[in-house]
This record gives sequence, structure tokens and C-alpha cells, in this order.
Amino acid sequence: MRDRKSFRLHLGLLCAAALALVVPSASPQSQPKSTDWPSYAADLAGTRYRPLDQINAANFNDLEIAWRIKTDNFGDRPEYKLEGTPLMVNGILYATAGSRRAVIALDPGTGELLWIHGEHEGKRGGAASRQLSGRGLAYWSDGKEERILYVTPGYRLICLNAKTGLPISGFGTGGSVDLKLNDDQDIFPDLTTGEIGIQSAPVVAGNTVIVGAAFREGMTPRSMRNNKGYVRGFDVRTGKRLWIFHTIPKKGEFGYDTWEKGSAEYTGNTGVWTQITVDEQLGLVYLPVESPTSDFYGGHRPGNNLFGESLVCVDLKTGERKWHFQLVHHPLWDMDVSSAPILADITVDGKPVKAVAQPSKQGFLYVFDRITGKPVWPIPEKPVEVGNVPGESYSPTQPIPSKPPAYSRNGVSVDDLIDFTPALHDRAKEIAAKYHLGPVFTPPTASKLDGPLGTLSIGTASGGTNWPGGSYDPETHIAYLYACNSCVEPIGLVAAPKEVSDIAYIAGTAGHEVSILRGPGENAGADSPKPSKKRTGSEYVPMNVDGLPLMRPPYGTISAINLDTGEIVWQIAHGETPDIVRNYPALKGLAIPRTGQETYNIGTLITKTLVIAGEGHITTTADHPRGAMLRAYDKKTGKEVGAVFMPAPQTGSPMTYMHNGKQYIVVAVSGGPYSGEYIAYALPSESE
Amino acid sequence: MNVVRSCSVATLGCALFALCVVRAQEPAPSPARSVWDGVYTEEQSKRGESVYQKECASCHGASLGGGESAPPLTGGTFLSNWNGLTLADLFDRIRKTMPLSGPGRLTRQQDADVLAFMLSTNKFPAGKTEIYRQSEMLKEIRFESEKPADKK
Repeated sequence: MRDRKSFRLHLGLLCAAALALVVPSASPQSQPKSTDWPSYAADLAGTRYRPLDQINAANFNDLEIAWRIKTDNFGDRPEYKLEGTPLMVNGILYATAGSRRAVIALDPGTGELLWIHGEHEGKRGGAASRQLSGRGLAYWSDGKEERILYVTPGYRLICLNAKTGLPISGFGTGGSVDLKLNDDQDIFPDLTTGEIGIQSAPVVAGNTVIVGAAFREGMTPRSMRNNKGYVRGFDVRTGKRLWIFHTIPKKGEFGYDTWEKGSAEYTGNTGVWTQITVDEQLGLVYLPVESPTSDFYGGHRPGNNLFGESLVCVDLKTGERKWHFQLVHHPLWDMDVSSAPILADITVDGKPVKAVAQPSKQGFLYVFDRITGKPVWPIPEKPVEVGNVPGESYSPTQPIPSKPPAYSRNGVSVDDLIDFTPALHDRAKEIAAKYHLGPVFTPPTASKLDGPLGTLSIGTASGGTNWPGGSYDPETHIAYLYACNSCVEPIGLVAAPKEVSDIAYIAGTAGHEVSILRGPGENAGADSPKPSKKRTGSEYVPMNVDGLPLMRPPYGTISAINLDTGEIVWQIAHGETPDIVRNYPALKGLAIPRTGQETYNIGTLITKTLVIAGEGHITTTADHPRGAMLRAYDKKTGKEVGAVFMPAPQTGSPMTYMHNGKQYIVVAVSGGPYSGEYIAYALPSESE
Repeated sequence: MNVVRSCSVATLGCALFALCVVRAQEPAPSPARSVWDGVYTEEQSKRGESVYQKECASCHGASLGGGESAPPLTGGTFLSNWNGLTLADLFDRIRKTMPLSGPGRLTRQQDADVLAFMLSTNKFPAGKTEIYRQSEMLKEIRFESEKPADKK
């Protein structure tokens, strides 16, 4: 019996005449327009930019909700972590939605549901390493036919007719390609429970669809052995595999010798779980690669570990490596290359450069000539601290960009701690004293009851720029990057009990139980951790003082960086000062400038004149009830020019498009008690 | 007259209705108790820790710090998400959607115990009575992220 089935609802098919009214027929004019939003990041260059200007500084405050759609019923349970960015092409809006990761097609002017497609994957879906609605999908057209592609939680690439939502029968098998097969490895332990999946959107360039891979959280893996996250290109017409790039080289391939003691054979992960960028003209693909197994301990994989935490450029037609740059040697900090590389045609010292700029968790913007891989500004190797965790093999140096300067905190010192009052600063110092502090690339420590409990890090797992990535204006050559400037992460290592993991050290805190981190929704029965050590001592140490962030503000920032000069043009705190700071009794009367908010999953949208981004926290102020704001800033100065209310925080990056003469902004909101919802904003008719 | 008789028969009802109308027009009373009033016990928190480590830590982290795929249950985002609501809202969210692999799989008692552990980790004080296991009763307890001045 098949353990999966697909469903689709074709409202239009109930009435062919009605369908013809709402769904434009395929025609040679079906190529995307410049006012559409045809791929996850607007374009394959990762810009999140559309030069639209109907919504501008003068009227942003007039925005009202044009339509909204809750995603509760697109799955068997509501979702509270809606991260999608829709596409809008040729008069139809497409999105992934709900705990089923259904695909929905909507009327972009009204939000009316045109069709829906979902895949019931049974145990395979339930055991998936990356659950929920994912971040989006991809669109392809040859000018006649139009297709939508996405990857299910169970790691199957699905190809749909964009007009009807019906699977394309000539693609793979009945419209799907099993991504757990034909991957130059045997996914273990089996196809149903084998750990590999992805939540990001596939990318389509020319007639090639490119798919990466994601795994469970890598802090406390059960084994040093895992499946590997290769990247593959498929023919968008047939689903046939065109190429594969081994992110962990096979024997005989370049980079294999950076895995000493044969560790390339068993080490896994090292996938590309975030968005991929493509220069179609040059025929080059830019792959941001994540950490190898395991995130914080590399004693079982001595060597630099290519292509872990590297930016790799491969040929669009063959997948062959053109160049690479490893941002972190022998990764130990979970500094996955976590967002879409940004393509930028810039002018440096009077010379044109086709560049690629890579935002990062560690707050560096790495800028390269995207043809040669040569850094635009020197990225010298600098000595870094070498730790003393038994069995670890540290890289004595790391590459640190000379330009642009770091745009968010990437190290922790006492001077970075909260200092609204001396008393608060003293309490923060008491917390920090339990940890090892230091600048970027300070290594994790073994966790000890009498201290340190670990390394107090920032710019690691959740700092700086994460999966939403940045934006880039190709006219002004300025990149806009949101960053969490206060997402501290204590990284301690504890010896793993043999029944928990075969890795010598995994993330943990002395005196606490050791447990295995997994992605949400995995089959807890099959995967539940073995009984583990009893707690013997240390208290849970919250990274805050009475709920106040441990770090000084700004907690979250947006930076504008000129890529011609490598200089930060402006930097602002993004987000209302949290309620807990504004209402904290001891801070009453203090003039505290807007602090921004401590969150890592904010994406920016830029238009002709604005930078637009929602808040990640709920606040209640004199200006608005409990909720969050979608804010607009002047691109030139960073000055706020408007804000509109959202009922919940932004959890998916905003996008924009024109439809029937009207500009819309769509954003995904959810979190806490508020289930996922896409909300479309537009100006009232009288303002047109 | 019918009208008079109807009124006389329903005098009590009319009065009650009027009271109800008046009451409905008032803003909903703010619950008198908050998470700062010792709404769980240390023993309950210890039970909750055990359940948490088995059922929740896999996604939300051993120290409630969250992961790439699950939000933190301590710190700014968590506190702001729930500030101003009631413990019933948080309890129902756990009850109806967690653990993700089997919502509702845990008993009400286990959910309440986990909630106690979350409050403890966020440094809300323990008290002498356990957290209620029914949402209706938890509506009487406000979730306030900041400590009231009189408790500092």
C-alpha cells in the first residue's frame, strides 16, 4: 500500500469558465515581468529588491490590509512558525503554507484560493528532519508552459503545473523525484527515516533546478556518522539528474585530504540548507555550505574540512567546482554559511568588478570577485585562540575580512554587557563570569561545574545574519543587512555518554542532563533519547537579567553597506524597544534610544526608495495595541518614514509586486499564540 | 396588560439582564494574580524538568535556548510573545500543539509540570500550590515578563 498520497483542490476546475477568468491562459507573454516576484529572493542574484515606488515614504502609514490568509487548515495542525516568502508571477501568487507544506495559488489582488496541492507522506513525512511549511518554492517557464517546484518535508522534489496545481506527469515519476535516491550515497538507515531534507526553496536557473540538503540540529548528534548534504542539479523538464557536487569530497577529489584520518568517509551534514544564488549569464552557481557533523566538536574530523562553511562556485551546467573560499577552517562554531550570496556589479577603485557578497552569522560581509573567487578586499589569515578540549584539532588561524568592518557583534567582552545602570551591569558580569569570553573565533570550552560553563559566544548559531539574508540595490551598489546584535549563545561541551552519542563531546552544560537536539516533528517514539545523566549541580543560567537582554543595545540592527567602498553608510536599531526594557522600573526616567530587538530571523525588502522589515517581537505601546510593526526606512539615511501594524511578529521575509496597477507587500506573520498568516498590504483606493 | 404582566413576571430576569449588560460593557477585569505570585511548586518544576528533557529539549534545547527550528523558551522573544496574556494561553498552546510529533500526547498534568519548569527557568518564583491543570482556571493568572516593583 502506498504510504503517501497527494491531494489537490482545483476550485477553477469546478467551473471552466470561472477558471479562465481568474487564471490567465499560458501564452508567449508568460515570462515574468520586472514588477513580478518570480523567485524566493526576487531574482537569482539574491537582492530582495524591486524598483517599485507606489508605496513610498509619503504614504507608507496609509497602508491597509488588502487580504489575508490563515494557514491553519493547510495541514493537520496549525503552524506557528510560518517562514515563507511567496512568489508572484503573471497574475498568480504562489506560496508554501501550513504544517503540510501545501502549495497554494492565490489571486494576488484578493487572496482568493485558486488551487492547493499537498503531499501526504506518512511516516516519511513525520520523520522528516525539517518539518513545517518551509520557505518557499520556485517558478519556471519557457514562455509557454509554467511550472512550480518545491521540496516536501520528506525530501521529494515536486513539479506542478502552475495553472492547475496538477503534477507534471513527465517529470520524474508522476511529477516527483525522490531526493533520497540517486544521491551518490545510500541514505541510512532507510528511505523512510533516513535523516536528510530541506526547508528552503529550490532554485531554477535556465532549465536546471538546484536542490541542497538540511539535517537535524547539529549541536548534539547521536553519531559522528551521518548522511551527507550534496547539491544536485536536475532537468526542470524531466527531473533527470544533471549533476551533483560533493560538499564533502570523495576519495580522489579536490579537498579530500582536508579530512584527515579518513574522516570524509563517515562525516556527514555539510549541506546547503539555505538559498542558492545563480549568475545565469556567467553560468555560475554560488553555494553557501553549512557545518560538518558536529557543530561544536571536530575531534573526529581533523583537518580544515572542505567544503564545510565555505562559499563554493560551481558550473551551472556541470556542477564542477570553479572556485571556493572557506570562511571558517575546521568549523567549531556553527557558523553555517546561512543565507543567499548576493550578486553585485560594483566599481572598486575605478574598476568594475562582478562581485559576490556573502553575509554571515559572524557579522562579516565577505566580498569576492565572483568569476575568480579572489577577495575584493584582502581577507588575511589571523591567529586565533586555540582551545584545550581533549581530542580537538584547532585551526591556528582564521580568515578575517579587512573590509567592510564587521556589521554586528561577533565576540563578547565585559564592555558589551548591559549597562543601563551599574547594578544591572554588575549582575550581568556575575552571569558572564561563569563563562569564557573572547573575540570572534574564541573556541568552545569543556563545561565545568566550577567554571567555565562554556564560551559565551555571539555571532555563532543565531547571531548576525541568518537564513533571511540581506538585500541589495543594483543601482546604488548598497547592501542592506539585518543582524541580531545580541543573540548570545553559551557553547559548552560535555563528554557524551556512550549510550547517547559516539562523539566524544557534544553541546551541554556541566550538571545538566544530556539530550539530543532534533528538528521539530520527528517521530519521538522512534528517536527518543536514551535515559541520561541526572542533574548534579549547576543551575540553568538564563542569558538575561530580570528578562533584560544580557548585552547592551542595539539588540538588532539594519546596516547599509556601500559595496564600492566597503564602508558602512548607516546603521540603525531595528524594532521597538522591548516592553520589558521600556517598563522596567529601575529604567524609568532614563532616556534610552530605541534599542531594536533580540531576534535573528528578520529579512528585509527594498524598493525604489525604502527598506522594509517587520519586527520580530510583540510589543504594546502608547501608539499601538499588542502586536508588531512593519517598518519602512529611507534607503539613503536609515531614517524611519512609516510603520504599519501587524498582529504578530514577522517570521517570513516580505516581498512586493504590482497587480492591476496596485503595489502590494506580502509578509508572513506568526509566533507565540498566533498561528501562521500571510498578510497583504496595499494603499487604499483613494490614494492611488 | 400583557406588557405589564410580562414585565412583572420577568422583573428578576430584567434586572439580571441589565446587570449583565452593565458588566459586558466594562473592560474585562485583569486577573488578580500573576506569574510573580508563586503559582507553581519546586517539586512540580522538578517533575516538569524530567518531562521537558525527554519530550521537549530535543527541539527547544536542554537549557530552553531554542534551536534553528524551534524558538527559545526563555529570553526576549519568548517573554515578549506571552507578555500581557494569561497562563491559559501558554498552556493551551502547549496542550494543543506540543510535542510537534504528537500534540496532546502528554497528560494535562505533564503539560502543567513542563509549564512549571519553564517558569522556574525563567526565574519566576515558586510558591506553595501547583499550577492548575485546567485552562479555565489558568485564565486567572497573568503572564507578565517584568517583575512588579513591589517584588523587587
